[in-house]
Amino acid sequence: MFNKAKLLTAGSAVMAVALVSTSANAATANADARATILDQITVTKTSDLDFGTIVVGATGGNATLSAASGAVNCAAALVCSGTTSAAAFSVAGTAGETVDITVDSTVNLLSGTDSMTASLASSDATLVLAGGDSFTVGGTLAVGANQATGDYVGNFDVTVNYQ
Amino acid sequence: MSRLSNSLCTFLAATMLAPLPAQAAGDLLVAPTRVVLDGVRGTEVILNNVGAEPATYRISLELRRMTPDGKLDEVTKEEANALEQAALSMIRYAPRRITLAPNQPQAIRIGVRPPQALPDGEYRAHMLFRAIPKAQPVAPQAGEPQGLSIALTPIYGVTIPIIIRKGALQATAAIANGRVETDENGHAFAFDLSRQGDKSTYGEIRVTKPGLDKPLLVARGIAVYAEVEARTVKLPVPAEVAAQLTGPVKIEYFESHSAGGGLIASAQTALK
Repeated sequence: MFNKAKLLTAGSAVMAVALVSTSANAATANADARATILDQITVTKTSDLDFGTIVVGATGGNATLSAASGAVNCAAALVCSGTTSAAAFSVAGTAGETVDITVDSTVNLLSGTDSMTASLASSDATLVLAGGDSFTVGGTLAVGANQATGDYVGNFDVTVNYQ
Repeated sequence: MSRLSNSLCTFLAATMLAPLPAQAAGDLLVAPTRVVLDGVRGTEVILNNVGAEPATYRISLELRRMTPDGKLDEVTKEEANALEQAALSMIRYAPRRITLAPNQPQAIRIGVRPPQALPDGEYRAHMLFRAIPKAQPVAPQAGEPQGLSIALTPIYGVTIPIIIRKGALQATAAIANGRVETDENGHAFAFDLSRQGDKSTYGEIRVTKPGLDKPLLVARGIAVYAEVEARTVKLPVPAEVAAQLTGPVKIEYFESHSAGGGLIASAQTALK
């Protein structure tokens, strides 16, 4: 049990493969204990990408959400309100492992037949895992002049890649 | 079967002991993080739902090509070259879609069915594990009829390489041009890693400085895939490490422990 806990804190998954009896019928069977230690990766989402609510006027503009702070910088023509946040993910794995992060560079948001485009960026392109690692995703929403009001939805891909 | 369920139970118990952060639907654990097969014998990859809600995951094979800056670019199945098509057609895996309760692990079985006349070489695809998002409830817009409400949902996942080797393959590597780069994202240690031969190289980078008993930087899991002859390796470093990255340093590239841990390449360099 102690060993298992120790291995886990090193960021590894323990998969006990089996107790393999060398001779099942022998009266005094020898048993080999085998355990395979696997490198693991855990990705958990800790926050959603939230631009808050945007009120649009006759001219459009950009609303830029900082990946670092989660704050929105709003063009003069727009009124931005509400709580905002960058998407945030935590990554746990074997210490010292290198992972690359890819995020869709653009995403199309739809509300019925109306659409908007956002460009996205990750806070980190590469992480060398050291424990308690995380990254965030922010972006810039291009709001058109007289953009129709509505609930705009879109999906974007975030992938943690092992080489 | 008992072997599998036995291992899964142990794995489940082990996973539940691990401290987990706040959980969302679609959170996932994947182990191992790299698969190399050099025969017909297959293997298993464990996928575990570490979220708080049941989630449906899709497992797919994707193609990626390494770029000169070390990124993995997506390649569509239509753009695939002969090597990539061969990799896709010989890798068998199941299941491809699975709904898991929280903390329920599932073994994904991976096998290889190489065609008779398969030429020697290294074949690779990347296995993508990703939760399928649930249908989104439309956010209510009470009180702010003039506004736009925006719901941007991340679909997040993990890719791991599945590598198949046939024949006696060789590769060598060389390190050059060690440097510290600083931009708005902070400091990074960068160098050029070149490769020759008919397979990829993979291993651990260690940067040491004379007089210091511990390496300044250790980064595991650095590959140069066979489709590139050289790549830039750029590793983020904290400011206190960047401050020490001056003067003479030794950059070494070791095989992973499971591959023997031998030295692949090393270089001495003087940093500015």
